[in-house]
Amino acid sequence: MSIVKYLLVFGLLVFGTIATYVAATVDMDRFFVGANTLVALFIAFTKMTFVMLFFMHVYWSKRLIWLAAVASFFWLAIMFAYTMQDYLTRGSGVFSS
Amino acid sequence: MSSHYSDKFVYHEPGLQHQFDDMGQQEESVSIGMWFFLVQEIMFFGGLFTAYLVFRSKYPMAFAAGSNHLDAFWGGLNTLVLIVSSLTMALTVYYAQKGNRNMQVILIVLTMIFGATFLGVKAIEYTDKYNHGLIPVAGLNKKVKAEAGAEHSAAEKPCWEVDHNAPPVEHPNPHGEFIWTDCSLAKMALDENILTASEKNQYLVRDENNKPVIDANKFRDKVRIFFFLYFVMTGLHALHMIVGLGLMTWLLWSAFKYKYNGDYYMPVEMSGLYWHFVDIVWIFLFPLLYLLGRHFIHGG
Repeated sequence: MSIVKYLLVFGLLVFGTIATYVAATVDMDRFFVGANTLVALFIAFTKMTFVMLFFMHVYWSKRLIWLAAVASFFWLAIMFAYTMQDYLTRGSGVFSS
Repeated sequence: MSSHYSDKFVYHEPGLQHQFDDMGQQEESVSIGMWFFLVQEIMFFGGLFTAYLVFRSKYPMAFAAGSNHLDAFWGGLNTLVLIVSSLTMALTVYYAQKGNRNMQVILIVLTMIFGATFLGVKAIEYTDKYNHGLIPVAGLNKKVKAEAGAEHSAAEKPCWEVDHNAPPVEHPNPHGEFIWTDCSLAKMALDENILTASEKNQYLVRDENNKPVIDANKFRDKVRIFFFLYFVMTGLHALHMIVGLGLMTWLLWSAFKYKYNGDYYMPVEMSGLYWHFVDIVWIFLFPLLYLLGRHFIHGG
């Protein structure tokens, strides 16, 4: 990868950071609760994808590396999902609140 | 001349470790090992993100209020500093592949300077939290002289009646630390009826007319959870930065001694993977810690 392409990715990351800040100052929660967080996470995921693909060279790596990178998020999703399916479904009684 | 004897003089690349057949096999083994390490690092931080997810879904207003105590300027600056350091790290790998020793040394030094800048900003922020009584463990904050009547006047006023343009009204707790009493975000959520069930349970008390009102102490307990997570998550991240700086020191020394070239640069590449991983963690920490309650201030 040429230096120009590294600089392009860098510029995109800087733009993403500024976009994250600007988006956070706009009240998007009026559309639906959590919209602000959703937008912030979308930008963060985009930035992460660019760092992983180009700075960490996953784009040119073997399939096994792709698998390791994707699997990590799969395990993370399992941890989030199973934890939240417990916490979000606790009803009234001793375990409420 | 036996074949056993001549085996000792068979040619191999200078960077090849004896347990590998060739450079291709070595590079593949090294990078898959490093990636598996990073996967477990993701799970390591993932536990903290899970705790964050659980408590933020229960007490969103306490998290927003806590987040507004953080300075988004320093957080944003640190995000940019880390992105620049990621660029210099990526270019270090680029020049290691080209075998350009001088550019490697310059870029590793730059990466270290940006890494140290990040830690310096973190130190400024932690000091600020210490001075303002925001460290969630009572007794670990700066001690202040009690201002006469400050405690009294703060106790008189409801915690949601705060003038955001004036300096915050703070009064000392029994440890002699500043405590802040702003619960205006929770009050706003109560008025708009968007408090979660957990929040209604945990923030509210009944006043003399049996009307639910926000209790400053109960609310502050939940904001404290945010600051626990803030310190553990950024602290663990800062620890990774310190380890990264150690890696860079070693890399600087070996690059200085012309160790890396187009045939052998995996140590640079692997250190780069680690550095970028630490950057990625911060990419998520910045919006999730610093920017939660921003839209309540600006958007209205």
